[in-house]
Amino acid sequence: MKVTLVSRSGREFIKGGLELNDSATVADLQEAIHKRTKKFYPSRQRLTLPVPSGSRERPVILNYKKSLKDYCDGNENTLTIVFKDLGPQVSYRTLFFFEYLGPLILYPVFYYFPVYKYFGYEEKRVIHPVQTYALYYWCFHYFKRIMETFFIHRFSHATSPLSNVFRNCAYYWTFGSYIAYYVNHPLYTPVSDLQMKIGFGFGIVCQLANFYCHIILKNLRSPDGSGGYQIPRGFLFNIVTCANYTTEIYQWLGFNIATQTVAGYVFLVVATSIMTNWALAKHRRLKKVFFFYLSNY
Amino acid sequence: MASALTVLRRLYLSIYNWLVFIGWFQVLFLALKALKESGHEHVYNAVEKPLLLAQSAAVMEILHGLIGLVRSPVSSTLPQIGSRLYLTWGILWSFPEIIRYSFFGMKEAFGFAPSWHLWLRYSTFLVLYPTGISSEVGLIYFALPYIKASEKYCFRMPNKWNFSFDYFYAAILALGIYVPGSPHLYHYMLGQRKRALSKSKKE
Repeated sequence: MKVTLVSRSGREFIKGGLELNDSATVADLQEAIHKRTKKFYPSRQRLTLPVPSGSRERPVILNYKKSLKDYCDGNENTLTIVFKDLGPQVSYRTLFFFEYLGPLILYPVFYYFPVYKYFGYEEKRVIHPVQTYALYYWCFHYFKRIMETFFIHRFSHATSPLSNVFRNCAYYWTFGSYIAYYVNHPLYTPVSDLQMKIGFGFGIVCQLANFYCHIILKNLRSPDGSGGYQIPRGFLFNIVTCANYTTEIYQWLGFNIATQTVAGYVFLVVATSIMTNWALAKHRRLKKVFFFYLSNY
Repeated sequence: MASALTVLRRLYLSIYNWLVFIGWFQVLFLALKALKESGHEHVYNAVEKPLLLAQSAAVMEILHGLIGLVRSPVSSTLPQIGSRLYLTWGILWSFPEIIRYSFFGMKEAFGFAPSWHLWLRYSTFLVLYPTGISSEVGLIYFALPYIKASEKYCFRMPNKWNFSFDYFYAAILALGIYVPGSPHLYHYMLGQRKRALSKSKKE
């Protein structure tokens, strides 16, 4: 079959189009494009069906596993596909690793090294127990995230745009340093012992719950990441759609109850709003895919 | 019900935009008047009230959810060089703001704005942005030693919330943001200009 490839402006992207087997899959098409263009490896390609001009509908993205025939309704022999370059891509694992590495390394710097000397404070300082526990809690948290990235999570999209590396690292590394500066400050004022224990205790429980949520999500998909979207069930997923985000948010709340810094609470607010947006989007997506999801939730 | 809200919205936005237009016009008028009659050292005192009002509008605009620029109000006392920069800032910024607010005022009140108005809105920035931004950066830079010495707007540790704020470092951070921020904003306006002026040509 002949596949005509156009860019979003309508211009023909590959002159003369591509010739493929009638039984070819979208993945085969991606390979063919990659062979012809060299620069555009499959994860960089966004292939969609053309949308009639003026229509406000979102275009249908081709699923790499499906065969091209599934997308030609009517003309058996020709298919027009719209190509968009997603830009250089990195694997999600790479992205997450670097995002999380920053906080893991930067926070201890404020604890162990005489950083505050450069801010005009004396080198000598008293370290409160809460500051030590905060260090352990924080580092455990980001260590856990890195381990989950490599051993637990199963990603639906293999890659993310390269620009996200800079954006996400800026977010994590800046906030990590901002919080670390205040919690380890020589003039830090600790909260009561009871409040600290409640904060860390609650936080640890939430981190464990969060881990279990990740296990549940992992089991929804097969190792190669296929399995697409499923409704998570059981445990806290019977109460909320994105229990993983819920537990993550509460886990940060625990940290802040124990350490009590404005910096930490600012981070909590920002992180909560980001995750809330994601959760709302996921909930909407699941409702669209599984209409009956509505009846119970 | 929906159209009543629309009317209300347009009424509110018309009044708002025309009010701020008057504010900026006052800034320009009073600045020029003070400059002519008393000299540049007296400009700030002359424009302070309408200037603060017009600046506060910028905060309102965030609330309105309109596309707007937020400029840092640097309200520390400055010597002669500072006042000259203030003058530049007040005059230069009042130009695009007068144009912009009257443009929105026209659209909200009357439903349209003449094409020369549109052109003004999307062309004056070409000169006024670089000059305005330079005067802002210059202002902040000259103010730095005074900010540091005066310790104004500083909140220190230790305190219950383990929070601190240092206006001096915040100002330096603001300067830093200008470096990627200004080319980005200028580029954005160039794009907007292209879209707006080519769209009006098609109509």
